[in-house]
Amino acid sequence: MKAFLAITRVTLRQLLGGKRLLLFGLLALLPPVVMLLASRDLAEVGEFGLLTPASSPVVDAFHDAPIAIVFLIVLPVVSLILGASTLGDERRDRTLSFLMLRPLRRSVITGAKLFAAWLGTTSIVSVSAALAAAVVGLRIGDWSYVGPVALAAAVSALAYTAVFMVLGYFTSRAVLLGLVYVFIWENGITFAAVSLANVSLFRIGLSAYGGLVPESLSELDEVLGSVAPGAGGAIAKALVIAVLAVFGSASLLRRRDLL
Amino acid sequence: MTSGPAFSAGATIEVTDVSKWFGQKVAVSDLSCSFGPGLTGLLGPNGAGKTTLLRMVCGLLRPSDGAITVLGVDPREDPSVYRNMALVPEEDAVYGILTAREFVAFAADLTGVPRERVAEAIETVDLTSAADRAISGFSKGMRQRAKVAAALVTDPQVLILDEPLNGTDPVQRAHLITVFRRLAAAGKTVIVSSHVLSEVERMADRVLAVVDGRLAAAGDVAAIRRAMADIPYRVRIDVGDTRRIASALMSEDVVGSVRVVGGRLHVETTDLATLGTLVPRIAKDTDARLTGFEPEDESLESVFRYLVHRK
Repeated sequence: MKAFLAITRVTLRQLLGGKRLLLFGLLALLPPVVMLLASRDLAEVGEFGLLTPASSPVVDAFHDAPIAIVFLIVLPVVSLILGASTLGDERRDRTLSFLMLRPLRRSVITGAKLFAAWLGTTSIVSVSAALAAAVVGLRIGDWSYVGPVALAAAVSALAYTAVFMVLGYFTSRAVLLGLVYVFIWENGITFAAVSLANVSLFRIGLSAYGGLVPESLSELDEVLGSVAPGAGGAIAKALVIAVLAVFGSASLLRRRDLL
Repeated sequence: MTSGPAFSAGATIEVTDVSKWFGQKVAVSDLSCSFGPGLTGLLGPNGAGKTTLLRMVCGLLRPSDGAITVLGVDPREDPSVYRNMALVPEEDAVYGILTAREFVAFAADLTGVPRERVAEAIETVDLTSAADRAISGFSKGMRQRAKVAAALVTDPQVLILDEPLNGTDPVQRAHLITVFRRLAAAGKTVIVSSHVLSEVERMADRVLAVVDGRLAAAGDVAAIRRAMADIPYRVRIDVGDTRRIASALMSEDVVGSVRVVGGRLHVETTDLATLGTLVPRIAKDTDARLTGFEPEDESLESVFRYLVHRK
């Protein structure tokens, strides 16, 4: 456990050092700022004067641009950079041998690396999503969206960082390949062909959100496509991806030469 | 156990018929040797296969053929061996964001040793005054010492150092050599690779010379020196009246051949020291002006190649 925490601590400093934290911080401010601007002139209740929060234009506005920015831009970009760097930078900087020559199971190393990348990503993206949802709370007094959207971002962050960690170990062009996946596959092809929505990582988090905030389903249905909403299923999916990534990359570390 | 100068009594590391190739390139070829307590120098020119051999011993590379055991186990199969084994790699494998103290503490945490040893390890490599500075601002020599401290903090039974003196100044070098010798005297298995013969000579009791991925020579330093004693040296001499000097040199026993090329003498000898005193004397006797006396090819690489071809 001591070794796991030590790797996590050092990795977090590596991942969030320098100007990265500042840049990610600015990116994370985008959803709450957009939410503030989008909700500025909106009425607190819907056109029929219903007082249920789900019918509020403020909630509609939250489920529009801010959610999209969180799940389609902030989350994939941050998790791609942190996920791909967590093992990739160690290999590039030739410090991976420092970790490998320790009396540790390889899965402890990869598990700690993934945990650090996930923690870093989540602390940025979940806060960003929660701040955007907090605007709903400030405007109409309904804070019930804060927890679910933060959790949903954390769930998707786990899936993303796990996949990008393995990609980062394999290739130095992980960020480029990851951007192709995010912006061409996820933001393009899976929207055009909804049957492919199951092969989309951001939808895992959104399905968790759909399960926790059922009244938002109508807005999310179109995006989720064939993905069934439900927090339990989403968390299980993300965990399976994470476990496969941890043990898969541990097996690679065992078998491949470290030049 | 196999016997011979390449093998050590009470071996902690055994290398048996090991080869390693990367695609078409053979880095290590059918090499067998062993290492035991004491300090062994692994000598060879750059690109000889020393680093590849050491990385295989550490389990970072899998041998293409053959087997390696460290303390009785294959390090690729059993990471627990790293509790008693440490590598100081040639490359700058350090975390620039950490201070030297944090870096050494990180090594301690990963190996499961108490942090109380951190200060002592840093003190051993004489880095205490810079211990709380970020490694990114360190010179090459300081980084080397930080890496050595990170290895020492685990108190390993087997310590492998790949060109550890690179970038260090003479004072640091002398200090590190003392540290390595002390560890060897305490019964640790210490392997130090280097491409500088004089460096290895200063610290190693035993030397393995590797060239082109093969073992070229093995034994104590004196044996290596003896093996090198009859190597012909080529010397370029700038002197006036080359023909008279050439004919005078031809009658000397230590001179193998003399050629006159472009107003210079190119002499082959097996005794560089004697030739070094002979040439000025002949020049003086013949009233010729001696302006240059320069070995043409005495690089370690050529010495090793000679040893390999002679084998």
